[in-house]
Amino acid sequence: MVFSTTYFLFLYLPVVLLVYYLAPLKLRNLALLAVSLLFYYWGERIYVLIMFASTVIDYTHGMLVERCKGKGNLRGARMAVASSIVFNLALLGFFKYWDFIAGSLQAVGLTFMPVLGVHLPIGISFYTFQTMSYTIDVYRGDTRAQRSTINFGTFVTLFPQLIAGPIIKYKDLGGQIDSRTCTADKFASGVQRFLVGLGKKLLIANNVGMLWDAYKAMAPGELTVAGAWLGVLAFTFQIYFDFSGYSDMAIGLGRMLGFEFLENFNYPYISKSVTEFWRRWHISLSTWFREYLYIPLGGNRCSKGRWVFNLLVVWAATGIWHGASWNFLIWGLYFFVLLMLERLVWGKALARLPAAVGHVYTLALVMVSWAIFAIEDFGQLGAYLKVMFGLGGVPLADGAFGYYLRSYLPLLVIAAVGSTPLLSMAWRKLRARPAAVALPVLLLAGLMVCTAYVVDATYNPFLYFRF
Amino acid sequence: MSKGYARFITALFCLFLAAFLAANLLLPDRQFSPQENRYLTQMPELSLESVTNGEFMEDFEEYHSDQFAGRDFWIGLKAWCERLTGKQENNGVYFGTDGAQTLFAQFTAPSQEDMAQRLAYVNALGENVDVPVYFSLIPGKNTVWADRLPQGAPLADESGALEQAMGSCVSVEWLDLVTPLLDRQDEYVFYRTDHHWTSLGAYYGYLALMEGMGLAPVEFTGTPELVSDSFLGTTYSSAGAKWVQPDEMYRWIDQGDVKVTSYFTGMPEEGSLYVDSYLSEKDKYSYFLGGNQPLCVIDTGLEDAPSVLVVRDSYTDSLAPFLTQNFSQIHLYDLRYNNMSLKDYVRDNGIDMVLVLYSVSNFTTDANLFKLGL
Repeated sequence: MVFSTTYFLFLYLPVVLLVYYLAPLKLRNLALLAVSLLFYYWGERIYVLIMFASTVIDYTHGMLVERCKGKGNLRGARMAVASSIVFNLALLGFFKYWDFIAGSLQAVGLTFMPVLGVHLPIGISFYTFQTMSYTIDVYRGDTRAQRSTINFGTFVTLFPQLIAGPIIKYKDLGGQIDSRTCTADKFASGVQRFLVGLGKKLLIANNVGMLWDAYKAMAPGELTVAGAWLGVLAFTFQIYFDFSGYSDMAIGLGRMLGFEFLENFNYPYISKSVTEFWRRWHISLSTWFREYLYIPLGGNRCSKGRWVFNLLVVWAATGIWHGASWNFLIWGLYFFVLLMLERLVWGKALARLPAAVGHVYTLALVMVSWAIFAIEDFGQLGAYLKVMFGLGGVPLADGAFGYYLRSYLPLLVIAAVGSTPLLSMAWRKLRARPAAVALPVLLLAGLMVCTAYVVDATYNPFLYFRF
Repeated sequence: MSKGYARFITALFCLFLAAFLAANLLLPDRQFSPQENRYLTQMPELSLESVTNGEFMEDFEEYHSDQFAGRDFWIGLKAWCERLTGKQENNGVYFGTDGAQTLFAQFTAPSQEDMAQRLAYVNALGENVDVPVYFSLIPGKNTVWADRLPQGAPLADESGALEQAMGSCVSVEWLDLVTPLLDRQDEYVFYRTDHHWTSLGAYYGYLALMEGMGLAPVEFTGTPELVSDSFLGTTYSSAGAKWVQPDEMYRWIDQGDVKVTSYFTGMPEEGSLYVDSYLSEKDKYSYFLGGNQPLCVIDTGLEDAPSVLVVRDSYTDSLAPFLTQNFSQIHLYDLRYNNMSLKDYVRDNGIDMVLVLYSVSNFTTDANLFKLGL
């Protein structure tokens, strides 16, 4: 199920809230588990079993680790952790990467792995990481094992963050799973956050996405330099507003249910270096890789060569986590190279330059990275990048560029402002009384406009009934 | 935030959701949407099978959105939002520079090969029959009213397809409709809200076609009668553009003694050049001849006049009244619903000449043109 649909907003969500708040406190987790399973079953059907399996196995592994540790059997505990990691990675590996690996091997003439056409269960990259970190945290003593299967199931299946994150670690949420308070204050702030996210997704991301689609579909001969950059700019806003919009919706829905999730984005596009960008972008993923991959590998407390290797592994993994395709791997390695260069070569010089230089430098590099991210076909990617850098004698701009720029300029300006903390600062500066009046007005207007866009998404007039 | 205020905000949100939850449950489901011109999805049947294979969920998603309370209002609101944020397009329809009053549907140019194949079917018809075959394509608004398109709009040009058609006529004679319509581009030759030409546009088309076919067109001297001032066509429906002024529809030629036989269901029944009942419906263009029909035979009572077979699309519905002035019998033939051999049809019905007449956009997309050569 997707948040930005009529049936989620006007059927599933109100029913869930009703059931949740009517249920006695003791049964609320059970209610959440039930509706979350329905949420997943709705779109993925039989694949809900994978989530079941993941839940059951990590629940038992967590218990096993704790029991072994309690008896002083560290070796046993380590074995259990290893078993959990193997299981989770096998799950992810099969469903996400089998066909990619098989296809890549076949491309070089090795046919021992057949391409199976495996369905990628939605959210598997998120929940396998969550369950994996749980067992590791129990082993590390960062959290106690969850004794209730229902509570653990609630953690794994929690619908607000199930399909698009943020990646929530059990040690951050376990306490809230066991007991949390629901207040009107939390709910109201959840409403605001949810609507901000819904608006980001429906009004900005989907809209600028159409601009990117138009440019992505163009043959290299139709592209212009300015047009290619406009297209990538559109994707730059699309991916941020889409992804952070989902995180906002998750955080908002979480608050409506009494949870407090950690932030996932912190205005990444205002960064002055690529290093800073990655401290602000998809925070839950970078911290996950840091805690469960980079540091276990030895982090930076080792030889320089080993440190570089550790970072290489982390960025290759980050890249391929985003999708089973070579361009994602290249995208990860692109950042590895940039981060290395900033650490070892020009990072300090960059910090001394005027802030504007850092902003332009970062945005340009990030935009190039999005081109690599968005275009999976290498031939097309190469042609597109060539046009972006003015190679191959393409014109600077054309009539279509003018048309698209005029059509999308207001939206792009809104997106640019929305990528900075300006709006939220202005809102906080507003005095209490005008804010109290503006909030319900904005809320209603936002609800109306979002409803219009969500209904229109399925607008499908049949026009060829008659030539 | 005080507790009371937080409760107020909470209530506001919950009430909004609840109001539409209730409205969707309580309001009766609609069968048909005149605005979208299609049957809406109905509540799917719940069964173990439909749930496990996912059909129920898929259908339910469509159903929920199709039957959403105030659907047409929301679509209009979205179109407004798009326009207010500077967009010159919504749902694939471009807004004209005349205050978004003229609406242009998307046009995608065919490939040269595809177009060549289509033209080959036309030539095949010309070779199959012994009577003269004329061929013409009606240019669209985006050609005739190109000056009203938003600057740089990524709408394909029809001129390539038109030139290719003109240059490929071997066994048929090409009749040009681009020049006569371009000459009259300042006049009301197209509906602003629909893809069809107006009766005025059809009249200019008629004059050019008759001349090309060696017949004497009858100059119109009367005053056309306004039959509707509230026509909102298909392009309007796609755009959801509620701000658009409706189009006017006129009746130019009286029915007189003309006898129309329509084959709506394949069986002959008495038809009419004009069907008034459609004027009170959304689909007003069907006022001409009563809309889609596989075959329509018009007996004009004229003697010493040839008979004609028009292989056509719906643009001919509004052209037909003018044709009654020059032919004894007019056969309007829609390829989509017929699988007869045209060669046999021409012979069996004593047809004197054939006209293949399509709009550019229909000619470049219709999948039934191969039947021309049957």
